[in-house]
Amino acid sequence: MKKTSVYSFLLFIFLLVIWEVTSKSYSELVLPAPSVIVLTLVDGLLSGYFTQHIQRTAAEVILGLFFGGVAGFTVGVLMGEVAFLRKLLFPYIIASQAVPKLALAPLFILWFGFGMTSKVVITALVCFFPLLENTVTAIQLSDIQKQELFKMLGATRLQTLIHLKIPSGMLGILAGLRVSVVLAIVGAVVGEFIGGSEGLGALIIATQAMMDTALMFATLILLTIFGMILYLTVSWLEKMWMKRLKKEI
Amino acid sequence: MTEHIVLQNVYKTFSKKNHSETVALEDVSLSIKRGEFISLLGPSGCGKSTLLNIIAGLEKETSGQVLINGSPITGPGNDRIVVFQESGLFPWMTVLENVMYGLLIKKVPKEEAKMRAMNWIQKVHLGKFADRSPHELSGGMKQRVAIARALVMDPEILLMDEPFAALDEQTRMVLHQELETLWRETGKTVIFVTHNIREAVVLSDRIVLMKTRPGGIKNIFSVQAARPRNSSDSILNYLETRILSELEQEMEKVLKEELGSDYALKKDRLHIDPHNNLGSDI
Ligand SMILES: Nc1ncnc2c1ncn2[C@@H]1O[C@H](COP(=O)(O)OP(=O)(O)OP(=O)(O)O)[C@@H](O)[C@H]1O
Ligand SMILES: [Mg+2]
Repeated sequence: MKKTSVYSFLLFIFLLVIWEVTSKSYSELVLPAPSVIVLTLVDGLLSGYFTQHIQRTAAEVILGLFFGGVAGFTVGVLMGEVAFLRKLLFPYIIASQAVPKLALAPLFILWFGFGMTSKVVITALVCFFPLLENTVTAIQLSDIQKQELFKMLGATRLQTLIHLKIPSGMLGILAGLRVSVVLAIVGAVVGEFIGGSEGLGALIIATQAMMDTALMFATLILLTIFGMILYLTVSWLEKMWMKRLKKEI
Repeated sequence: MTEHIVLQNVYKTFSKKNHSETVALEDVSLSIKRGEFISLLGPSGCGKSTLLNIIAGLEKETSGQVLINGSPITGPGNDRIVVFQESGLFPWMTVLENVMYGLLIKKVPKEEAKMRAMNWIQKVHLGKFADRSPHELSGGMKQRVAIARALVMDPEILLMDEPFAALDEQTRMVLHQELETLWRETGKTVIFVTHNIREAVVLSDRIVLMKTRPGGIKNIFSVQAARPRNSSDSILNYLETRILSELEQEMEKVLKEELGSDYALKKDRLHIDPHNNLGSDI
């Protein structure tokens, strides 16, 4: 385990070196050297150039994730629990799955303007579905015998939901959250591509116009780091949950 | 007056989507006394679990009557708790939390619930494991937790659906003794489903031998051996042989139906040697 991570790191260094060497024979506009990118990144961070963009994108992602996640989870629980709702809404869920959500971005910008709201809505929408789907499935999967036991103990429907169905489905729900988190960044960035002057997505478009490829790469690195932080947070939540299930690991 | 559970002409049919019907129980009548230990024994599909679930209130009889203390069952309740083959512990809770959960549902104050749960955890000899999570326990320990979790609710009736079927022989024997002790101490009425003749004979006051197609009662045996039971007791061995020979008839009948003309070929292989197979599953 340890050994392979050393190899991964060595591979990373190796690729960087190749990149560094190759970039010498291209213009900086096409392929800036890693060293140049890192300098641009550090420079931008220190001068505060990135600050407002980072804050903006982070706010959009977190708000979108929050609203989309809460809505997806809530509707998922309701649909998992109430067969009538499930049957009623299922065709709509299927149909909306087929709609490429990101293609709706221009529409939302039309509706909600160029400000933050439209991006939050897009982000919330793309986060909504994975969580919804996983929650519906997870809630329904809980063991019949355990449900019967809850009945015998005299638990109410709400108690059964909170103490049995949601905990039994927690891993599935978290897996949905993991997908949502990744999509959230895509949603926010695509929203910013289409309309907006602030945020890391908008910055990428601007760097393209300015032909500042090094800055574009620096922005991409920031987005990657942000994505990794969110992803690792969810993985950590999963680990904590597993730890509750089994004390070791 | 001492009749605790009375089943009168109970029928249960399951209808499937294609309108075919399975008669799981046909005309079952049985009276169970308060404090009695009853086993339901029989081949797979004879309706043991169905009967248990009806008494638990998890299934409704198609016709007939099931009375507990003279009144009909209205649904599941914590006067009747089932212990299943898979212990069904909640993996996100510790042993203690598992056992006290039912009390918390009943709105017993937390401290009291904890004390009562600990008391039962100690009675099943798991005092040291109260803070462990279920996955750290062996199969036998898990079933002990499941028993504690049922008994902490102080049910009048303990329903057990093949609770020890997944355990190895040694663990099973230990749990037989523990269950017998708990049963004698608490005086609960126990209905115990099993495939294992020896298990039924060692534990029960009466053994209800069931038959298939349609499911129902074939015969009822009283076990008159002294308690605590000693598995080398000759009464027990004699009874095992008797039950086994009745079962052989039953299984022959089933095979005849299933195999039709092929039956003659297989008949020779069916004969079960009672002296080699006494403890075995059917
Ligand atoms: N929910 C159900 N729907 C349809 N048929 C059922 C249902 N539950 C049981 N049955 C049928 O009723 C019959 C009796 O089943 P039951 O589970 O009570 O048998 P059992 O004696 O407990 O068997 P085993 O020893 O295998 O557990 C079987 O033929 C079974 O297929
Ligand atoms: Mg069964």
